[in-house]
Amino acid sequence: MEDIMDNPITRREALKKGLCLSGSLVVACTGWPVHTPSEAWAVEKNGGFLIDGVGQSPGYSVQELTKRVFDAAGGMGKFVSKGDVVVVKPNISWARAPNLAATTNPDVLEAVINLAFDAGAKKIRIADNTIHNAQSCFALTGAGMVAKKTGADLVHPRSSLMRDMKIQGRRLDVWPVFVPLVEADKVINLPVAKVHGLCELTLGMKNWIGGVGGRRNALHQDIHQSIVDLARFFKPTVTLIDAIRIMVRNGPSGGSEADVAVMNRLILCNEPVAADAFAAGLFQISPESVGHIVLAQKQGLGQFELSTVTQTKVIL
Amino acid sequence: VKGKQLIWLRRISQGFFLALFLFLLVQTRFPGDIYLEYSLAFTTEQDIRVGYPVTFFFQLDPLVWLTSLLSGHVWIKGFLWAVGVLLLTLLLGRFFCGFVCPFGTINHMAGVLRPVLRGKAMIDANQKKGSQRIKYFLLVAILLSAILGLNIAGLLDPVSLFFRSLALAVFPALGNAIKDACDVIAGIDIKPLNMLGYAAEEIASPIFGYGYPSVATGWFIGGLFLVILFLNRIRPRFWCRSLCPLGALLAVMSRFSILRLEKDPDACTDCQKCTLACQGAASPGPGVDWDSSECLLCFNCFAKCPEDAITFRFRWFPAQNRGPDMGRRAVLGGLLAGVSIPFLGRLDGQIHKVSDPRLIRPPGSVEETEFLKLCQRCGLCMKVCPTNVINPALTEAGMAGFWTPTLIMTLGYCEYTCTLCGNVCPTGAIAEISGKEKVERPIRIGSAYLDRGRCLPWAGNGPCIVCEEHCPTSPKAIYLRPDVQTGEDGKTITIQLPYVDLKRCVGCGICENKCPVKGRPAIRVIAAGETRSVRNQILLDI
Repeated sequence: MEDIMDNPITRREALKKGLCLSGSLVVACTGWPVHTPSEAWAVEKNGGFLIDGVGQSPGYSVQELTKRVFDAAGGMGKFVSKGDVVVVKPNISWARAPNLAATTNPDVLEAVINLAFDAGAKKIRIADNTIHNAQSCFALTGAGMVAKKTGADLVHPRSSLMRDMKIQGRRLDVWPVFVPLVEADKVINLPVAKVHGLCELTLGMKNWIGGVGGRRNALHQDIHQSIVDLARFFKPTVTLIDAIRIMVRNGPSGGSEADVAVMNRLILCNEPVAADAFAAGLFQISPESVGHIVLAQKQGLGQFELSTVTQTKVIL
Repeated sequence: VKGKQLIWLRRISQGFFLALFLFLLVQTRFPGDIYLEYSLAFTTEQDIRVGYPVTFFFQLDPLVWLTSLLSGHVWIKGFLWAVGVLLLTLLLGRFFCGFVCPFGTINHMAGVLRPVLRGKAMIDANQKKGSQRIKYFLLVAILLSAILGLNIAGLLDPVSLFFRSLALAVFPALGNAIKDACDVIAGIDIKPLNMLGYAAEEIASPIFGYGYPSVATGWFIGGLFLVILFLNRIRPRFWCRSLCPLGALLAVMSRFSILRLEKDPDACTDCQKCTLACQGAASPGPGVDWDSSECLLCFNCFAKCPEDAITFRFRWFPAQNRGPDMGRRAVLGGLLAGVSIPFLGRLDGQIHKVSDPRLIRPPGSVEETEFLKLCQRCGLCMKVCPTNVINPALTEAGMAGFWTPTLIMTLGYCEYTCTLCGNVCPTGAIAEISGKEKVERPIRIGSAYLDRGRCLPWAGNGPCIVCEEHCPTSPKAIYLRPDVQTGEDGKTITIQLPYVDLKRCVGCGICENKCPVKGRPAIRVIAAGETRSVRNQILLDI
């Protein structure tokens, strides 16, 4: 949505320019549970886990695999409490049918939402600031149908939902953020695994590019630091990387089934850096060769050494 | 039947058709409530289609049918409706103007709600005027021009004009205003107001457009619409009486109408109440013959006459209506204009020599000569486009193509698999293609080229692969090659430089749309390479 990128709420900016300069003050005024990065990013050193779900049996149910993966981590109830407002951040940025693996698998999305509702979530929002126009994305990726089936709210990205916030990163200071992603009690990051011309791979941390508005297309001029800044800002409760089908070439847009490899994998992890590192393995790519993964470790967001997390394999 | 009852019948009919028109106009959009069943995506191709017959009023319009037939030799979809209207006009006169035409209704309302003329001034205004011949001039010019290969009917056809005015000026302008208001409300840090702002936008957006809809030349379209409405202050239904070419066509057909106004001169007291209320300036009063060709069948005279001196009756034989007062000069002038316009329109060389590089037609558009024979400039494709990329041309298509659709990539881009514009085109100027055909053939609308002086990596201003990232074809038409550059500080960096592979580029323009170099992007799309043209090509092998 180009208009969002071009109009990062100038009126609001004018209304409280002073407030925006001080991120904590904005938070105080809105009452939103916005983490200030310094206190929020406490890396879970001991509780790190990674569930590697594999769908092996022919014709297995993707939704069932999703459930098993969460069960292996102690159930959705471990992440979502009764009465929570949950926001799910899939990658539905491209107006592509799900068979092309440019977007998060709708079956996975549907299963996650159902699990969260079962765990007692009060409200679930699906939020992504799409690249292609949002209506087309909702219709083609299956996200629209998922919302209809499950009763989750599909948030139409628009300029009134972009609010300047203190990112306090090394590269990004104040940047328009897609409000529903910070207005929730729990955040589930639900990216799809793809190759990318500039970042090498687009996995969990890169997914947060879809959580902001503004002049996003300028972020590419320092993409790795931008990704790390955003990954530090948006701290997801848990990350589930959809690798049922991954895009192995021509990413991140794809456009042909020839670009897709069927992996039948799901990676559930509470450590964003480890999650990305593990998923990089599916592409036979070493995490050390992915700029933002290396940078994230260097700047203390987590470890890409997979020995730092407890790994569990789930086979269906 | 009493006159009053007929008037209420007319009002109900007018209200119904105006409401239907507005409903179909709003539905000319990306169908927001239709989400494809994603499990089917693995097995079948699904195309998104508009779920309502949004071209209905264009099918009903005999001028659209006739000009498409004369010009493009095409029987448009649903033309039998228009044939039906013409046949009914032969029997009933201009019932379409009085009972159906939504633009007529709007003009009617503008003239009636707060009439500026009263008493004698209104009676004078409702006398038949020479200016009522202008519509015949326009009709003759439009029909002859169509025969000679340029269809300009849509500029003045009431259905096209009304749709264009609402869809490309009134609705987007309101949409922008509402969006502004919603943003202000959503920006106030009081939670309920906040929510109210979001909710209002949620409701308004599907009707008025998402974000800030923008229309090139929208000011002109809207201005003309306001002027036409304003003319009703000079004379009621000024447009219908004097300017409407469809009205003129129906007027000619109504000569043999068997529904006739009959006057009883003995009962008439010459009170002029009939003329005072006459919408068409059709001489309902005493002393002159009634003009069946000018009568809009509003039935006001019938209802107002206190002496019952006016009645409408069916008279099978013999039909004695006055012929349409076309005026020789209007006809000759129309012929001259009709010959001139198509030939003058081609003088710019767009058809015969080189087309404007900015003239990027929607995907599925027919070849330019044929396009100008069919396009009604109605704005349906522009209204339905989910990315707002299709805009009315000002100079891109030359004089002949004024207000025909062109793609402005800085305002939107052509969604890779979307084919809604062809889905709603009422005349087939944009053929209805499938998403599969668009991708696999492929249907190109132009070609991208790089401006290396602006491009960030090419001009030594750092990394950027935004165009490559967004390129939707597989394999990508924009590819990257690494290059070692020496910066100003003498350090060398490896950087990826974008290239365009013209064989793969379809001209969708998302690269231009997303390029961070704003205003005049570093990668731009020109029309050359478009599938629809044999001549407008770049490569030897296509």
